[in-house]
Amino acid sequence: MNTTSRSFKQLKNGVRYSVIYLLLILLALFMMGPFLWLLSVSLMPGRNVFSSPPAILPTFIDFDNYVQVWQFMSFPRYITNTVIIAGLGVVFNVLLASTTAYPLAVFHFKGRNFVFTLLIATMIIPSSTAMIVHYLTIQAFHLGNSYLGVVLPAAVSVFNIFLMRQTFLGIPSDIRDSGKMDGASELRIFWQLVLPLVKPGIAVIVLLEVMAFWNNFLWPIVILDDPEKYPLAAALTYLNGQFSYNFGWIAAGTMISVIPIIVVFLFTQKYYMEGIAGAIKG
Amino acid sequence: MKRWARSESFSAWAFMTPGLVFLAIFTFWPILYGIPLALTDYSVIAETRYVGFENFTRAFQDHNFTVSLWNSLVYVLIVPIIQVISILMAILVNSRLPGVKMFRAAYYIPVVTSMVAVALIWSWLLGNNGVVNYLLIQAGIIDGQVSWLSSSSTALYVLMFITMWKGLGYYMMLYLAGLQGIPSDLYEAARVDGAGPLRLVVHVTIPLLRPHILFCTLISIMGAVRVFDEVYILTKGGPGTSTLTSSVYIFQKGLEQFNFGYASALGLIVSVIIGALSILVFRFNRKGGVNSY
Repeated sequence: MNTTSRSFKQLKNGVRYSVIYLLLILLALFMMGPFLWLLSVSLMPGRNVFSSPPAILPTFIDFDNYVQVWQFMSFPRYITNTVIIAGLGVVFNVLLASTTAYPLAVFHFKGRNFVFTLLIATMIIPSSTAMIVHYLTIQAFHLGNSYLGVVLPAAVSVFNIFLMRQTFLGIPSDIRDSGKMDGASELRIFWQLVLPLVKPGIAVIVLLEVMAFWNNFLWPIVILDDPEKYPLAAALTYLNGQFSYNFGWIAAGTMISVIPIIVVFLFTQKYYMEGIAGAIKG
Repeated sequence: MKRWARSESFSAWAFMTPGLVFLAIFTFWPILYGIPLALTDYSVIAETRYVGFENFTRAFQDHNFTVSLWNSLVYVLIVPIIQVISILMAILVNSRLPGVKMFRAAYYIPVVTSMVAVALIWSWLLGNNGVVNYLLIQAGIIDGQVSWLSSSSTALYVLMFITMWKGLGYYMMLYLAGLQGIPSDLYEAARVDGAGPLRLVVHVTIPLLRPHILFCTLISIMGAVRVFDEVYILTKGGPGTSTLTSSVYIFQKGLEQFNFGYASALGLIVSVIIGALSILVFRFNRKGGVNSY
């Protein structure tokens, strides 16, 4: 009696797990399939993407597309542009978000609620016109066609401020008190005592911003007149316009632009996902 | 003076000033400046003059604009679909099975990839001789090739599908965070009362995910109304006006034709609509008690 009910339970569990794994695998094919196919196309010789029936798996693998597109497009330059833009963006975001969030988390001061409400209001009031005004502002600062012009409109975000505030709230107040006892200035307490303790929060912002700037294509195209200054994603739209007939090249170029960010994500997914989740916790 | 300089208020504002200056220029200013701009005919070619509400009356007579508003509202229909699928995905990847983290990562990869790459891949897959047509014909679902992106009856829905596909992983992660916050004894108690898996989801999971559902619904509505990148890369609003969404139209008027005044007016109208939609969602979920941060 006991053994039959146990084996029944085992069978039931077995069926349940099989169903779950089947669903998981089907979903994985749905979500990853297009990327695997892109990888496959990029490794196909010739330009047989639109042959009939369409080539799904390569008959033999070669890296010619990669070699040729690398020689044709100045990837090192576009990657350098992207790294400069992302680097600037990360520095601005980390510094501005942490200095703005720090008082909101630990100081008691008049106007704290006011600043808070103002920040929340920006999330509720949407502004489709923002990009047009940003364009005018950047031109007024004479920063058109410059990396700074690309970065400044996204130098700090309310999202990052809340993320950092969340992290600062977790710092025990003894840390600041002990700094005060030693007579350290607020700036020194912040820089030498508090900031080293919020490295995980900073890491999350670095990740989020690297990805955001890596993938950004529209604003750079709007603000940069000179395609030589384009970051990778913007250059890719350019490549697509120029060589829409050479699928192998574009596929290889797209893979080159996508792989770094996927690798970064795979190695840091734990922090990244905690950060995303942490942003909506109370 | 010296005492003020040593007070917490002084340090607080000193810390916040750089960040607030940037926010003022690039977040608050666009919201404020959009209003006076909308009342002028500001453009780069002619001298600016005040035109009152002319831009607004013009907007509602502008057939392309009303079409773009309608398309944006149709786009919002993906919001409930995204929520249902991503909640189911979150429940799936919340099970404690070996290898489940690998699947989480796989589902998230479209989120971290650039829209440029995603749009390129799908435009090929959806081509006349593309893989999607081939597979659907092989499976007997369609009779002949469909020009998914260049036919006005399908293009908008295809774009909605791509937006959904790219976003599912993001919402899945937000819901997963919510699921992991639900205490397991609640499930135990319901199980003791004889609830099956379906009833557990309906009576325990969904009610407890309410704040997350509200938050995700809000951000996906805003995302759907503001949708730009995929439309701009894949169809530029065409064929005809079949995929012209409001953001694409505002962009065309503003940054392609440099009608800044008119584009600002259109932006304001869309902002009011998004605001109204958000308030509606809040009303529906009054019990949710959202604390998005």
